[in-house]
Amino acid sequence: MIRISALESYHPIVLFVFFASCILFTMFFMHPVYLAISLISSTLLLGKLVGLRKLFKTLLYILPIFILIAISNPIFSHKGVTPLFYINYNPITLESILYGIAMATMIVSIMLWFRCYNLVMTSDKFICLFGNIIPTLALIISITLRLIPKLKDQIKQISNSQRTLGMYIDTGSILERIRSGIRILSILITWALENGIDTADSMKARGYGLKGRTTFSIFKFDKRDGIILGIILLLVSINILGEVYGYSSFYYYPYVKNMDFSVMTITFNLSYFLLLIFPTIIEIKEDLKWRSLISKI
Amino acid sequence: MAIIDIKNLSFSYPAQESKAIDNISLSIEKGEFILICGETGCGKSTLIRQLKPQIAPYGARHGEIYYNNIPLKALDDKKNASEIGYVMQNPDNQIVTDKVWHELAFGLENLAIKTPVIRRRVAEMASFFGIEGWFRKDVQDLSGGQKQLLNLASIMVMNPKVLILDEPTSQLDPIAATDFINTLYKINKELALTIILVEHRLEEVYPIADKVLVLDKGRKLIYDTPEKVGESLRSAKNHNIIYGFPTPIRIYNECNTKDKCPLTIREGSIWLSNNFKSNINKINSYKKPDNSNIVLELKDVWFRYGRELPDVLRGVSLQAYKGEIFSILGGNGSGKTTTLNVISGISSPYRGKVLLHGKKISDYKKKELYHNNIAVLPQNPQTLFVKNKVEKEFDEIIKVMKLNNDAANKKINNIAERLYIKHLFQKHPYDLSGGEQQKVALAKILLLNPKIILFDEPTKGLDGYSKKVLGEIMKELKKSHVTIIMVSHDIEFSAEYSDRCALFFDGNIVSEDDPISFFSGNSFYTTAANRMSRHIFKNAITSKDVIHLCQQS
Repeated sequence: MIRISALESYHPIVLFVFFASCILFTMFFMHPVYLAISLISSTLLLGKLVGLRKLFKTLLYILPIFILIAISNPIFSHKGVTPLFYINYNPITLESILYGIAMATMIVSIMLWFRCYNLVMTSDKFICLFGNIIPTLALIISITLRLIPKLKDQIKQISNSQRTLGMYIDTGSILERIRSGIRILSILITWALENGIDTADSMKARGYGLKGRTTFSIFKFDKRDGIILGIILLLVSINILGEVYGYSSFYYYPYVKNMDFSVMTITFNLSYFLLLIFPTIIEIKEDLKWRSLISKI
Repeated sequence: MAIIDIKNLSFSYPAQESKAIDNISLSIEKGEFILICGETGCGKSTLIRQLKPQIAPYGARHGEIYYNNIPLKALDDKKNASEIGYVMQNPDNQIVTDKVWHELAFGLENLAIKTPVIRRRVAEMASFFGIEGWFRKDVQDLSGGQKQLLNLASIMVMNPKVLILDEPTSQLDPIAATDFINTLYKINKELALTIILVEHRLEEVYPIADKVLVLDKGRKLIYDTPEKVGESLRSAKNHNIIYGFPTPIRIYNECNTKDKCPLTIREGSIWLSNNFKSNINKINSYKKPDNSNIVLELKDVWFRYGRELPDVLRGVSLQAYKGEIFSILGGNGSGKTTTLNVISGISSPYRGKVLLHGKKISDYKKKELYHNNIAVLPQNPQTLFVKNKVEKEFDEIIKVMKLNNDAANKKINNIAERLYIKHLFQKHPYDLSGGEQQKVALAKILLLNPKIILFDEPTKGLDGYSKKVLGEIMKELKKSHVTIIMVSHDIEFSAEYSDRCALFFDGNIVSEDDPISFFSGNSFYTTAANRMSRHIFKNAITSKDVIHLCQQS
């Protein structure tokens, strides 16, 4: 079953600004608190979007990546001033272990954010985003997205036909397989070029190439989008301000920076948390609204 | 006032002596539904492409085309793009973008129309064509019929005055084709749109057309109302074009009656009652095929495409005998093509057995299976072509089959003569017509010396005469003890050429018999000739049968 999330109903620009800032901030803020916030909120959002079962599945294959990165840093990097023990006369330092964990958290969070992004930003939203800025590119993307499944299907048809001619081999030596792969590719290219003429004719027949082409999109930017975008931009600028004043910067080498818990730090931390948890709040709010609507029925 | 006026139009392709269009003059009134028919290569497509300068082929053109009394050349591009709509044959190739809504908007974007106006027009069209349900879908998820409807809608959204369609239903299954034709009829009647339609499959369109233009070798043969065309065809007897015409007209054509030409099944059936009161009302049954020699057998075959997916084949059992033509009929998605894939070893069933000459198909080696044994003619013959010349296509098979030069040449010549493709040897396979491509593909697989040939929708996109040629070729092959198994939507073709027919429904074969018992036993799923004649003749299923019985009485 496809769940329609509340997020999906927002204008692509809103979604894009949110995810872009999320992913960029996660990449640059190596502060442990910030990383923890990013990891937690990306996990929560993904859980909200795909449900618990699928979330666990995702986490299950993300966990090894986390461990791999966390372990490999201390093995290869011996910076830091606090050696804990030695392997082959190489010091394993506390700093590099912590930095490894931080790196792993960052990469895993970004992966989770991208999962969410892919779920919410479908191709047509992406195209709409660039349609107004670079119309030709947007059209090319759209045509390409149309072409890929078509070619895939054709490859299948060609390899089936060639197989029944006894000309396509999917077992056997690598050389033989490469040769039959090239054969399929050559048939595919001829086919694509021939049939591309039809598509070109269809475009010309519908007036492609006339002056002043406009770009249509089915997404409307309404008041609701404006409000949400305003809130997101406000939170983003607060966080940039925090970065400028150094509240979100951190260092692990040569020794780990001391954490400070001043009111200002906590305020900036909170604003970051608010930004990242914002879509999850929207989702939960929508759920609650529906629940109350259903109970009224 | 004529909306389109063609005056003494001639056209010839570069470096070709014969004219593709030879001195054609005709005028088309506003709101008329014009049907253009003729054999493949008679210049139908060339003619209608002249009406759309953007996509007209290059060549020498003489004569003039007027659109609303303005020479077509003088019409500005923007007006031409929006007012003359053009729908092509292949539903897939015309679609440009990846989303249904975007495709609908594509033409309007080109015309530089503002977003709010596009929004309204797209909405209007989507409602008119019943597209709302799949408005936000990816185009790849649509069925062939939906794709063609989308192509039509994305032309209609531009508000054309003239709609030109080039064999729009040839790639569709019969049900989708009928739906499409009905939509055209609706557009013509409700919006008073002028429609120019080129078509091979005439059964449904012929009666609803206002005028029919019959082309022959680039010349105007007849241009008149459907009835008149039917009547004047009778005087031009034995013309190949008649094979593509609706059954009632074909039967009328062969009988000497003195009344008007029937166009529909209903009119045909009344016409039969009026003219024939027959004592002889039964065709002598076919002789039973020799079923002692089973070459292929399916035993309780179950198949699905994935662990989680539903069954496509549910316990299919069938037998094919040596030297017979066996047709598997059935609707879309009933599992016909999957059955063919199972027989050819492309898909393997998860339960049940496929026996080829009494041996399990999975026990054959690839080379054993596909050389000198089983061969497939795919729905799209283009998937078989690798080289840039027809001749070279054969060479590679010769190499694989390890034939020496003399034997190879003899074999190629032999096959080429049987299929009449000698004159195509120097051409590029993609330059051939659909029927010719199919014949070349067939020649290619015949070189593999198959004992069983599987045909997947062999009549798709073929005109009446090419179908007849294909049928005769199949009969020839049968004589040399080749077993033919075909999967088809084409009831008329199967009725005429098969030895046995089977109806596939819901993943299984529900009935199977010789064509006469099979079709005369069905009330709906049967040939036009049978539906038209069943009230006086007992078991006539092809137009040939009906003509035969009419002439006897």
